[in-house]
Amino acid sequence: MEQSKNEVLEIIAKSLEVDKERITVESTVDSLEEWDSLGHLSILVSLDKKFQGRLAGIKEMASVTSVNSILKILKNNNLI
Amino acid sequence: MYICIKGIEYYLPATKETNVSLKDDNPDWRINDIEKKTGITSRRISSKLQTATDMAESACRKLINNGLNIKDVDFIILVTQSPDYVLPTSACILQDRIGAGSCIAFDINLGCSGFVYGLAVSSSLISSGLARQGILVCSDTYTKYIDKHDRTCRPLFSDAAAATHISVASKDSIGSFELGSDGSGFDQLIVQSSGSRVNSNKNQSSKLYMSGADVFMFTMDMVPKVVNSVLLKSNKTIEDIDLFVFHQASKLVIDSIVRHLELPKEKVFVNLKNIGNTVSATILIALSDAVRGDKINTGDLIMLVGFGVGYSWGGCLIRWT
Repeated sequence: MEQSKNEVLEIIAKSLEVDKERITVESTVDSLEEWDSLGHLSILVSLDKKFQGRLAGIKEMASVTSVNSILKILKNNNLI
Repeated sequence: MYICIKGIEYYLPATKETNVSLKDDNPDWRINDIEKKTGITSRRISSKLQTATDMAESACRKLINNGLNIKDVDFIILVTQSPDYVLPTSACILQDRIGAGSCIAFDINLGCSGFVYGLAVSSSLISSGLARQGILVCSDTYTKYIDKHDRTCRPLFSDAAAATHISVASKDSIGSFELGSDGSGFDQLIVQSSGSRVNSNKNQSSKLYMSGADVFMFTMDMVPKVVNSVLLKSNKTIEDIDLFVFHQASKLVIDSIVRHLELPKEKVFVNLKNIGNTVSATILIALSDAVRGDKINTGDLIMLVGFGVGYSWGGCLIRWT
């Protein structure tokens, strides 16, 4: 689980094109200016790739505003 | 269905807006990032007084100049979400302006799924015997709805009109339609003050709002299902399809669809770089460019898929004649 969580944080960092140290479980759209609408799309695309298309039916991912929420949703859907 | 496409013409407004203009208006935008994700470097912008009906007329006149006898046309269907008026019907105005006889004429208020829906309706008119041939034209001026500082919409949308001459055919060339809707997503792509609905929230915007993330998730969920449904209905596989022409939403969306369906990239036609997302016209413009670029040969089996605002979606197969 810890490894999966770290992989997700890395994916988010890469999607937002920021240093991975800047992405923590506490990160939110308000704490990262790079996390705008395009940044959010990049995160969704990258996570969709990572989980081989299984993100597609998880509508609530569209409106997440924090890393913590992303991790919760992924866990609830047995992806991590 | 024994229907065929006999001609496609399109019209692009003269004004070309590059991403330099976006940067001029919005210095804080990361244009390289936007361009990389959208795949769009320029868009076409209708002039202030130019409407979707004007552009539709231009596209139709190209069909006429290429040999279509307008007096023989039994129907004119205009797919638009930018009508000249809420009433009367813009297709009636178009009928008069292009000198058609007193044919069937009506609008279809759909966006990105509009061409496939329009093709289904056109095919039904012909199959039922109500018509033998007609014009289906897709035209929109979405840019008039967009705020110049809207980072979600402005880099994407573009204005254009595309018209096609559809006729009865001697071969079974169009079919296996899969059409659908999900109105729970109605407010994810919307111009709130564009109709009769008055909300208790008095701040109804006159500008286009799109939740890119929600529309993306809908697309990733639904488009693969549409493709597979059309294949199942027609007893075909991906390998049987010579070319996929998806609604040209953005590079990011098309790439994701290709990845989901594991489509060979050479079978997916993309042409949005210097045109942008022209709503319902994208599929026709792409088809036209594919034909002119020798990407389509007689006998090729082509899948068309449109999806978006509504939510609404449509897919079908055509055998190119």
